[in-house]
Amino acid sequence: MKRTTVGAFALVAGLAMPQAALAETEITVWSWNIGASSLAIDMPSFKEAHPDVTVVVEDLGVQQVFDRMLAACAAGGAGLPDVVSVQNRRAEVFWSQFPDCFADLEPLGFDDAMKAQFAPFKLPELQANERTYAMPWDSGPVVMFYRRDYYENAGVDPASIVTWDDFIYAGLKVQEANDGVTMTQSSINGDPEFFEMIANENGCSYFSDDATAITLDAPACAEALDVVRKMDAADLITDGGWTEKIQSTVAGTVATHMYGGWYEGTIRTNAEDQSGLWGVFAMPSISEGGARAANFGGSALAIAANSENTEIAFEFLKHKLARPDSQVNMLMQYGLVPSLTTALDTDFVQQPQEFWGGQAVWADILKTLPVIKPSRGTPFYGDATAIMSAVQIKYLNGGYDSATDAVADAAQQLSLATGLPVE
Amino acid sequence: MRRNRHAYFFLFPFLAVFATFWLWPIVNAFYISFFATRTQPWVFRPEANWGRLLVDPAFANALQNTLILMVIQVPLMIALATLLAVMLNSPLLRARGLMRFAFFAPVVVSEVAYAAVFRLMFNTDFGVINKLLGSIGLPELDWFSSPTAAMAVIIMAVTWRWVGYNAIIILAGLQSIPQDVYEAARLDGVSKRQQFIHITVPLLRPVIVFCTVLSIIGSLQLFVEPFLITNRGGPGGATETLGLFIYRQGFGVFNFGYASAVAFTLALLAATLSVLNIWAARERTA
Repeated sequence: MKRTTVGAFALVAGLAMPQAALAETEITVWSWNIGASSLAIDMPSFKEAHPDVTVVVEDLGVQQVFDRMLAACAAGGAGLPDVVSVQNRRAEVFWSQFPDCFADLEPLGFDDAMKAQFAPFKLPELQANERTYAMPWDSGPVVMFYRRDYYENAGVDPASIVTWDDFIYAGLKVQEANDGVTMTQSSINGDPEFFEMIANENGCSYFSDDATAITLDAPACAEALDVVRKMDAADLITDGGWTEKIQSTVAGTVATHMYGGWYEGTIRTNAEDQSGLWGVFAMPSISEGGARAANFGGSALAIAANSENTEIAFEFLKHKLARPDSQVNMLMQYGLVPSLTTALDTDFVQQPQEFWGGQAVWADILKTLPVIKPSRGTPFYGDATAIMSAVQIKYLNGGYDSATDAVADAAQQLSLATGLPVE
Repeated sequence: MRRNRHAYFFLFPFLAVFATFWLWPIVNAFYISFFATRTQPWVFRPEANWGRLLVDPAFANALQNTLILMVIQVPLMIALATLLAVMLNSPLLRARGLMRFAFFAPVVVSEVAYAAVFRLMFNTDFGVINKLLGSIGLPELDWFSSPTAAMAVIIMAVTWRWVGYNAIIILAGLQSIPQDVYEAARLDGVSKRQQFIHITVPLLRPVIVFCTVLSIIGSLQLFVEPFLITNRGGPGGATETLGLFIYRQGFGVFNFGYASAVAFTLALLAATLSVLNIWAARERTA
């Protein structure tokens, strides 16, 4: 009996001791992939200013962060870390359903002067209920990442690809000249990402800018969906999501990836041995002379309302996101495009990149930023993607007479799901 | 009365837990199914969810998928399980214990692990199934991109996991059939096949009904396989079951009112099917 008591006491003391030694503050952050990696760099300078603060970044995966944030908010905030990463287009559902789950950053110091330093299209999705819930991080100007050698084998000059019809024609040649290579990759059977990018380029989106109406039933959206069908009909798309795209990049089985600028770091860090083989060109447009820019992806950081360290967490946000040095570092190391506009005037942007065959890719990617038309995620983005992916696969399998019918049906379904009128 | 009071005193811990964690959530879910829960604050509007159920193509799709799975997978699996049980019961079989365990083992494997293995096996470019198809000259399939193929994968996976479990239950039923019935049949010159059709199957009927009821309930609740193997009911909702649909409405797009309405519809469906089963079983015993 006596021995157990002593043992238990020692155990309690043993547990208590490291905690006493770590009387300093610990900030926990949830994030994913290269985002998590980029949050973990640049820490010495933060440590200098806040010697008693330790930052722990947990790399959970994008869907896992969303699921766990939701479960935590539904449970009144229990189990949330201090800081969470949130994708812009999926952010509003949190503010609308759980207005008190995340801290208002304005009283913590996110004032108008600081807001003005960020790209204006990032903010509407992060504000609701007269509060600002998150600080913009990166944005996703869409470009085409392509394999120079595969295009050369087929005698295709990327500069000659201006419209989507050009792209399809080039794709047939690339596939013929390179055995076992597919022109591009997307999980078109489960994800409307290609549709969303091309629709955004073509000036069409699921919802109106003020999130009060559905604007999907429009010719511009039908045109975008039809481009996806044409690519699929020409067998230019192999099926695959995030993981498969990385696999095919490493294996060299796909000639082109269409994604946000942040994919630069993913290609470069996963396929180091392919240095010099990759290049970038602008999105093709639907018609000659049309827009050749879109935004896909981009994230922000929010602070849990129940965090005991909201002020220090805000210092961390400022350190990572509101300083040009830090944002440029994330751009250089991981290819995350700053939404802090002052970070874009750096020499690095104009430099030719060795991995990209000497192309100054950042100059090419960032020059699309001013042309991008913002597309609002709204609290109903989850409904929109689910409905659109079902409609897309039905359309690709011949379930609608025309793309116009397909988007009209999708708009009706979305109206039913959200209660918003079709415009 | 006095005795009852004591009884309730001792039952109190259970009743309290039951009321808190079972009764209250059920009542509360029914209550919020009448509210439009798309945005805060929630407002009382029964037609927002119950009305939507009637016209929602996504709900109709999930219901249809669930019923297709049930109608194809359950009979297929029960038939296979019965055959398997007869073979496991054969006196010719060696290493009987090992065999029985081998067929039962899939139930013991964690759902997540087996889902990952199935996903790999059916991978378009690197999967063993496509390699096999290719080696015998058949065309390779994009298993997770075609709605029909994806549904077939789910059916195969669920069948693989549960067929052994049902076979073991049916085996127990087989062993309770008295041997003298077969002996009499043999003396009368009844062939093996006729013995199976006219003796084994009729005498097994109660066990098979039991397995069918369990499997129907299981298929109504199907969640893990379409969530993990076909990536959340893909392609484009082609394998989205009612369980997955409820999850997506509740925890994907935060529409808890609609999720509750669908959940109660599913419960109603399960109750109806159970009553039908009981009625069918009673008919035969009478």
